[in-house]
Amino acid sequence: MAKQVVLLVGTKKGLYTLRSDADRKKWTADGPHQAPAPIHHATYDARDGSMYAAINSTWGGSRIEYSRDLGKTWQTSKNPAFPEGSDRTFFQTWHIEPGHVKTPNLLWAGTEPAALWKSEDRGETWQLNQALDDQPSRAKWVPGFGGMGLHSIAIDAVDPKKMQVGISVGGVYTSTDGGASWAQDNAQTGGKEDRPDVFYCIHKLLAHPKVSGVRFMRVHVDVFWREPGETAWRNRTEGLPSTFGFAAAMHPRDRSVAYVIPLDDTKRTASPPGIGVYSTNDRGATWTRNDKGLPPGAALESVREGMDTDLLDPLGVYFGTANGDVWASRDEGRSWERAAQYLPYVTSVHAATID
Amino acid sequence: MTVPDRRPHVRILLHGAYRGFAGGAREVTLDAATLREALAALVRAHPSLAERLRDEHGKLRAHLSLFVNAEDSRFVGGEDATLADGDIVHVIPALSGG
Repeated sequence: MAKQVVLLVGTKKGLYTLRSDADRKKWTADGPHQAPAPIHHATYDARDGSMYAAINSTWGGSRIEYSRDLGKTWQTSKNPAFPEGSDRTFFQTWHIEPGHVKTPNLLWAGTEPAALWKSEDRGETWQLNQALDDQPSRAKWVPGFGGMGLHSIAIDAVDPKKMQVGISVGGVYTSTDGGASWAQDNAQTGGKEDRPDVFYCIHKLLAHPKVSGVRFMRVHVDVFWREPGETAWRNRTEGLPSTFGFAAAMHPRDRSVAYVIPLDDTKRTASPPGIGVYSTNDRGATWTRNDKGLPPGAALESVREGMDTDLLDPLGVYFGTANGDVWASRDEGRSWERAAQYLPYVTSVHAATID
Repeated sequence: MTVPDRRPHVRILLHGAYRGFAGGAREVTLDAATLREALAALVRAHPSLAERLRDEHGKLRAHLSLFVNAEDSRFVGGEDATLADGDIVHVIPALSGG
């Protein structure tokens, strides 16, 4: 069967899907699902075809839902629950990460209050990762502007026991034993400041899906790269128009390519000269602005989960904006076409490549 | 508080999003002497409501209004509000914000 691309688009008022064939020239929108609930993140699990959505509703409390039929019907997970006696209460889900192909049925979720949760039954129930919760340094975690959440879960391409999590504002933690133990992982080279306790505010941390040990990290201040075997984060901000931003993506095949959307640190919208996707093909050593097809000078905004790629060749790159647009590139990020407009504020875009 | 030997027959009316949380149910008839008992019986009838009514520590969700007949339950004893035969409990997702 020909491949199709399904964009799971989370908004502040429900979940939308945008579907296209492999040409990716025409998109068909469907939704919203669960409006008016805010959808912080939605994802597709290529291992079994499941979809997951972080539905952060005020009515009935936040919940995770899963679909086994590509979004036609949805079921509700048993909520993540802090243990009896805890002074914390599950508030909302920030990110859902399917596990490694070597660990079927296993998923991870990050929440606010910042905590890591593991599911061993394809998202039906969730258990607190006690080892991370017991970190003495947790006392130093503080809320960022958007709250205090765990939003990045980076699983190594080859060894699923090697993983990192990113926390706002709590820094990076690394595990080499599948989450049984954790160590702070905030050493950097080339940064302007040194905050070994929490490493500023992590905005997005990604593991390359094919090459073990390659990581790309978008932090409140600066972007960082890590090569296999390295133990520090290498500052790779030079060449970008600002140090700030949220959205980030890695090329799923080319281990030297990544994408970011720089924003103005104070306005939180695209820095002059307006919205643009910056790409690197040399692991962040240099950056190239890509804005062909994007509205010239527009001060758009794309947030933490706002950008993703498909798996096709040439690569499709996608991002959503706060004004309800979804932009698509069919040529590895060089030029852009609008795939949807007039949606609610887009909070997340996940590209599912489906056979 | 005196709990009668026979629990009063009451109706629970689900409104708005809470119908969806209960699989589309609009009304449940059950026996309960207090609002707390009524909510417990409601969850037994529709387990999917458990986490939609309370958080993991048992606290009632924010943005949830419970009325006994025309009275806001907060002003008639909260979950200890007593129920009588024929009473109607409304489970309402609270409208809030601007």
